[in-house]
Amino acid sequence: MSNSKISPVTGHYVTVDVDGLQYKVFYLENGTGQPILCQHTAGCHNHQWRGLLEDEEITANYRVIAYDLPRHGKSDPPENTEWWKEEYQLSAEHYSNFIIALADALELEDPIFMGSSFGGNVALQLALRRPDRFAGVLSVEGADYSPGFYLDWWQHPHANAAQVCASGTWDLMAPQSPEADRWKTWFYYTQGSEAFKGDLHFYSVDHDLRGKLGDIDGEKCPVVMMTGEYDYLTTPEDSERTANAITNGSFIYMPAIGHFPMSENHPVFRTYLIQALELLQEKREKKAANA
Amino acid sequence: MSAPTRAPSAEAWATAFTDASNTDPEIQAHGKYFTCSYLLDATERTYVIQVESGKVTHVTVDPGPLDVAYQFAIRASAETWRGFGEETPAAMFHGIWAASFQRDMKLEGDLLILMQNLRCITRQVELLRVVGSPV
Repeated sequence: MSNSKISPVTGHYVTVDVDGLQYKVFYLENGTGQPILCQHTAGCHNHQWRGLLEDEEITANYRVIAYDLPRHGKSDPPENTEWWKEEYQLSAEHYSNFIIALADALELEDPIFMGSSFGGNVALQLALRRPDRFAGVLSVEGADYSPGFYLDWWQHPHANAAQVCASGTWDLMAPQSPEADRWKTWFYYTQGSEAFKGDLHFYSVDHDLRGKLGDIDGEKCPVVMMTGEYDYLTTPEDSERTANAITNGSFIYMPAIGHFPMSENHPVFRTYLIQALELLQEKREKKAANA
Repeated sequence: MSAPTRAPSAEAWATAFTDASNTDPEIQAHGKYFTCSYLLDATERTYVIQVESGKVTHVTVDPGPLDVAYQFAIRASAETWRGFGEETPAAMFHGIWAASFQRDMKLEGDLLILMQNLRCITRQVELLRVVGSPV
């Protein structure tokens, strides 16, 4: 008899029209309940959420959807433009509009948005721009501003870009995280070098919410931030400072983990994620009681 | 990795580092083109590490001003390097990117050579968790 097992995770494509661009977007999903829309980190793809997608406890109560941002994984660049004639530089505007268009295309009701790193930063952008569209956002490894990573090294023609991107992000993970999971994350990073730098245009250049955090309607769209001890790019101090400046914002410190928590160590990350989901639920109940 | 073995002297550290790198399965599996020379500057001690085709061929301890050429330098305080020498380093002592962004580490010289050899250099620096601090 075979020991093979078919995972309950399924994959689909959905077309998304946004800002005059048409995308064919790939997503993985599993579970039933309130949707959690999950964004991977820059230059990566949705396999970073592999642990969460098969987490039986969480998928019993939530519909986990992890998509590949266009130009990543199985989501191609735009179908209707000659994208190869332009430099890819992701903007806060287009990135936010895309996620909202995806939530609309999938007809998601009251979704929670969760993203890590450049996904954590866009979580803040979504809370600022469309607090009405999301039940709350989980900003993982995010901050109001994260300069310093928009580097030419990611695409230098004299160096092996796959290796530079993968080994250049290696130190973002904690030494305590399982070696096999850190190497999987490294492996994903060898696959995304062409998009990585353009993603970081958003992460380190266009995303700048300094002085704007007070404009986030955290009562309507509660924000929970979570950052790992070993993250040298957006440190726990950066995230805590950001959360403190947001009305109804919360911060969860995650010891002994790094910048790719869901991918480098899901068993540890999930304990903080459950706390974060409970916090969102409390904020939601408080909001309902006050309404 | 096993517990760090503290090298009794700079020369003994150089030998232990050479042995660890030259028998490391990862570097030996992926270091076919790993050829470069770099300065590990630990303030109280310096080393020039020369690597050819994945093998450390020579480590010069405390070279004089014009003794040995190198292509790039990794410089930090002795305290920072001591953090790298822990079996499980504390946050920001866990890699050259982390320590450059958040501590006093400086990456200098021909950084293209560093980037071309980033995977193996990263692994060599992690070997300090086994070999111990260079200072």
